[in-house]
Amino acid sequence: MLGKNTRSIGTLSLGLVLALAIYLIPGMTGIADAKEAFAEQVFAEEAFAKEVQAEEAVEGEGEPEIEWSQDVFYKDWEGNPLKGPVSGYAAPELGPEDYNTYEFAPSRIILWVANQQHLYFGSFVLAVPIFCMIIEFIGIRTRDDDPVMADKYDRLARDLMKVSLTAYSWTAILGGILLFTFITLFPGFFKYMAGIFRPVMHVYALMFLAESGVLYVYYYGWDKMMDDKFLKWIHCSLSVLLNLIGTVLMYLANSWATFMQAPGGIDSEGRFLGNIWHVIHSTLWNPVGVHRILGNIVFGGGIVGAYAAYHYLTAKNEEEKAHYDWVCYVAMFIAIFGLIPLPFAGYWLMKEVYAFRQQMGITLMGGIMAWLFIIQAVMIGLLFFGANSYLHNGMARVKGSHRYMKYCKYMVLLLICCFTMWMTPHTIVMTPAELKEMGGAQHPVVGHFGVMSAKNTAVNLMITCTVLCFLLYQRANKKITVPWATVGNCWITAIFIGAAANIIFLGVYGYFLPANQRVGLSVPQVTSTLTTLFAGTAINISMFKDSESYGDIQWGTQSKVGTYAIFLLAISFTWLMGLMGYIRSSVRLFWHVTEVVRDNSVDAYTLTIGEAGKMLTFNALFVWVQFVVVFWVGSLTAKKIPAKAPEGVPVPAQQQQ
Amino acid sequence: MLPEQHDILFSFLSIMFAVFALYVFGNVIQHCREREGINSTLWGGIFGAMAITCFLMTVHMFSLVQGDQLVFFFSTYLWTILFMLLVWGVFFKSNKIERQSAPIIRAFFFYTTISVLLAGYTNWLPQQRSDPPPKEAAVVGDMTMEEFAEMGRVIIFGAKQVAGQKSIGKGQCPLCHTFDPGDHMGRCPNLFGVEKRSHDRVKEDRYATSPVAVGEVEPASGIVKGKHDEVPEEYRRAGGPDEFIGEDYLRESLMCPTCYVVKGFGKANDTKSPMPVIVKPPISLSRVEVNAVVAYLQSKDTPGEFASVTVPLPQDDAGNTGGAVVEEDSGGDEEEGPVFVTGNEDIQTMINTLGCPLCHTIPGVEGAVGELGPKLHEKINAPERIKDPNYKGKATNTKEYVKESILCPGCYVVFNEEAGESYPDGLMPTTFGEQLSVRALDKLVDFISQTEPPAGS
Repeated sequence: MLGKNTRSIGTLSLGLVLALAIYLIPGMTGIADAKEAFAEQVFAEEAFAKEVQAEEAVEGEGEPEIEWSQDVFYKDWEGNPLKGPVSGYAAPELGPEDYNTYEFAPSRIILWVANQQHLYFGSFVLAVPIFCMIIEFIGIRTRDDDPVMADKYDRLARDLMKVSLTAYSWTAILGGILLFTFITLFPGFFKYMAGIFRPVMHVYALMFLAESGVLYVYYYGWDKMMDDKFLKWIHCSLSVLLNLIGTVLMYLANSWATFMQAPGGIDSEGRFLGNIWHVIHSTLWNPVGVHRILGNIVFGGGIVGAYAAYHYLTAKNEEEKAHYDWVCYVAMFIAIFGLIPLPFAGYWLMKEVYAFRQQMGITLMGGIMAWLFIIQAVMIGLLFFGANSYLHNGMARVKGSHRYMKYCKYMVLLLICCFTMWMTPHTIVMTPAELKEMGGAQHPVVGHFGVMSAKNTAVNLMITCTVLCFLLYQRANKKITVPWATVGNCWITAIFIGAAANIIFLGVYGYFLPANQRVGLSVPQVTSTLTTLFAGTAINISMFKDSESYGDIQWGTQSKVGTYAIFLLAISFTWLMGLMGYIRSSVRLFWHVTEVVRDNSVDAYTLTIGEAGKMLTFNALFVWVQFVVVFWVGSLTAKKIPAKAPEGVPVPAQQQQ
Repeated sequence: MLPEQHDILFSFLSIMFAVFALYVFGNVIQHCREREGINSTLWGGIFGAMAITCFLMTVHMFSLVQGDQLVFFFSTYLWTILFMLLVWGVFFKSNKIERQSAPIIRAFFFYTTISVLLAGYTNWLPQQRSDPPPKEAAVVGDMTMEEFAEMGRVIIFGAKQVAGQKSIGKGQCPLCHTFDPGDHMGRCPNLFGVEKRSHDRVKEDRYATSPVAVGEVEPASGIVKGKHDEVPEEYRRAGGPDEFIGEDYLRESLMCPTCYVVKGFGKANDTKSPMPVIVKPPISLSRVEVNAVVAYLQSKDTPGEFASVTVPLPQDDAGNTGGAVVEEDSGGDEEEGPVFVTGNEDIQTMINTLGCPLCHTIPGVEGAVGELGPKLHEKINAPERIKDPNYKGKATNTKEYVKESILCPGCYVVFNEEAGESYPDGLMPTTFGEQLSVRALDKLVDFISQTEPPAGS
């Protein structure tokens, strides 16, 4: 995909997706049981030890007896709440003196901006090392076969790291601003959180030091470790270490947010029960972590893609254009690679939310937050349009693609139909007169497209269509020569037609089933979609063996529409990330910590969708202004080395051969 | 953002536009210096003036509050920027400059357009702000059973109902339960007929044993199943028969949902209820609130009939320790949440939000049949009242009178001819000035000024 050896990279991609799926599936099925079992075991041991200590203390020195209390989340085997020794103070009943304000904006809005900006940058600086690790690894692996390409990969990884370095400092500054905002505007709440997470916060700070140290060695040691093969592997290993520390950092910070949303390790009064792991490892910690890793990859891909697209538009010569066109492609590939499993991580997260408190899940999906999910649907539709538009336009620069270009218009038509269905609301707010005129809360015809049966069908068809588009893109310049070409093509056709037929059939069938059974149909629908992805891609790649090429990909000839499609994807990722973050956070409604610390500030209300939308737009634009500044600062130290491809080497990479 | 504050998005955009105008000015100057034959004085002057204009408009934006900012931005600032873009294009064209606006500018406008369109889309959707529920519903003095059951209804459904949208009160019940006969689309049992079922259910064999046996403690809630006298004291029934009655079953269902799980609606083979314990966070109903909900559930299937209600009224409840706050004009989830009307709402929503229908009959507003205050037929009444010798206000026309009445209800107290006395002075809140934006006030005044008795009345 990214270089000459398509098959190995394709297999690698497939392997990574499968590995991710294998990682996710057990978690999605057994995580709750495992967590309870583990918690029970740990707690039983600890409780026994403390009980003995307490008894000894009482017998010996007459110290006060330890008070025991019930955990709000963790349960034992029998479903009874776990008990733990009270080791902290009760959550405060916050009053006006616990909130400070400025006149120009509500405290909550200020905190939102500070938090969101920090998260955007944090996401970027966590994503870039993942890219660098993968790209540098591919560079090392291809060095023997194709040193020119290896150098290109190495340069790309380094360029990205350079930008990330500036962004890293920026992230730290934004983190400081966030911390001060928290302390100054929400002192009462912060005091409680600091009381619970005191050790975690210190570990976090130390991990930050470790991250900085490894980052600097990794970046500034690039040249010194460049030439020696062993040292280069060491250097690449540093990127692995960097990512590990970064992931730990992110998980530690996540624990504060997940604790606020679904607390554990405390009793109903908010008193810490002595086990910090319980507080960290609350029920949403794992799904949020996985979701954020994937989200970071997607968001990082979007930023790098937009960065490359911008440089593509400003390129001074053909070589530069070709280089940045290729970088765009790599970034988009990584972003979409992360995007495909993202919904499944989202499902897992929602499953855990429902498991924690059903009414929280329903508030999200059917209550006051439901309209925000309609907006999410629109955003996902935009992403699919953007991704397909990029692929369609990208295909135009591939020789031999004329065979498939004629199908693009039908795919666009399908996407439009599905998108329309996907964003049709179930019910809308109406005046009584309008309600009477329409004959009910649902429109007699259009209303049928507002239910989950239609929506699941629409979104699965959209994903299937995108997969098909991707397969066509892959084979655009290939002349398939394997003897089983006809059989292979028939299989691919059968898989796609079968999947589409199954998705549509199940969608229609859903109308005839009660709600609780209808929900179950989404699983075979998603399975059909994933079959097209995995089986379709596998067969497609297998057919490339000994294939002949219609010609090289004309890197540097990307149309402006394709380039702007990348911009569209980047801004959509940014906005969508803000939206989903807002949804996750605001579902706490009027609680700082769900059911434990009530938000008694004047800002405890949930914003209207319009107000939230304006904030999301502000945050998205504001962060991009900062990204422009950061990229500009990063470019100040750039040595202007013209990107020139050596003679005899296709420009710059023939990823399809 | 509060109405008296700046709009963060449009303030930001105005700053960006000012920077953009400065950039354009610099760009034009640069082209003028690079090329001969361009009238740099003319073009520099034009774009310099535009940059200054944009700067001044940005400064002006910060002197406005958010509603006015929005109007100014879209009515003036945006058009100025578009005009500047047009003139910039003319500059390029007339001077035959091929290398035109930099990609960064195009990308900026592309990003801004997409993002602002998304913000616009969110503002096009129905707007609903959710205020936190009061910590405890208020009770006003002695209540009738009808009022008590209504209190229960408000806890379940909220005071404000919007057509076509599920209305949810502090209790959050409609998130899962349905209440109408034949509606089985809910995630939890339909509560139509629950009063009757409450008497039958406790006699079922399944109730006696599943998921916990009568007399055993249900661990999640700590409630002893089927024992009304072992309910925590603050919620325990005071008085009444010794046996476990329908009221006790309903109370138990609220306080211990897992004590009995209706078939097909539970987890783990119908042994665990997904329903939260409603006397615990996040819902945390008080004794009076639980009783009000039970009163509503017992009476809802027989409108106007309260014979089946067995819970005592708050004033008669021996177990009521007076935990409920006593406050005038209370009800449901509206009391303690800050109410503010921006004017973006439709008039029905505005009037409902402000609570006018509680006291006034307002033609054209569904459900506004209040009797505590005068009927609002202001198109006819206002001119007459202005002429009334007792009128001491400053209004000279209908709109001014209506506005004055809203902001200063005591300025003129209307005489109730049917009762032969004035309407009570001081009943109408004097805080509407703090709850209405300028736009909302104007909208409300416009509407009420046009109210008149329905034709034929």
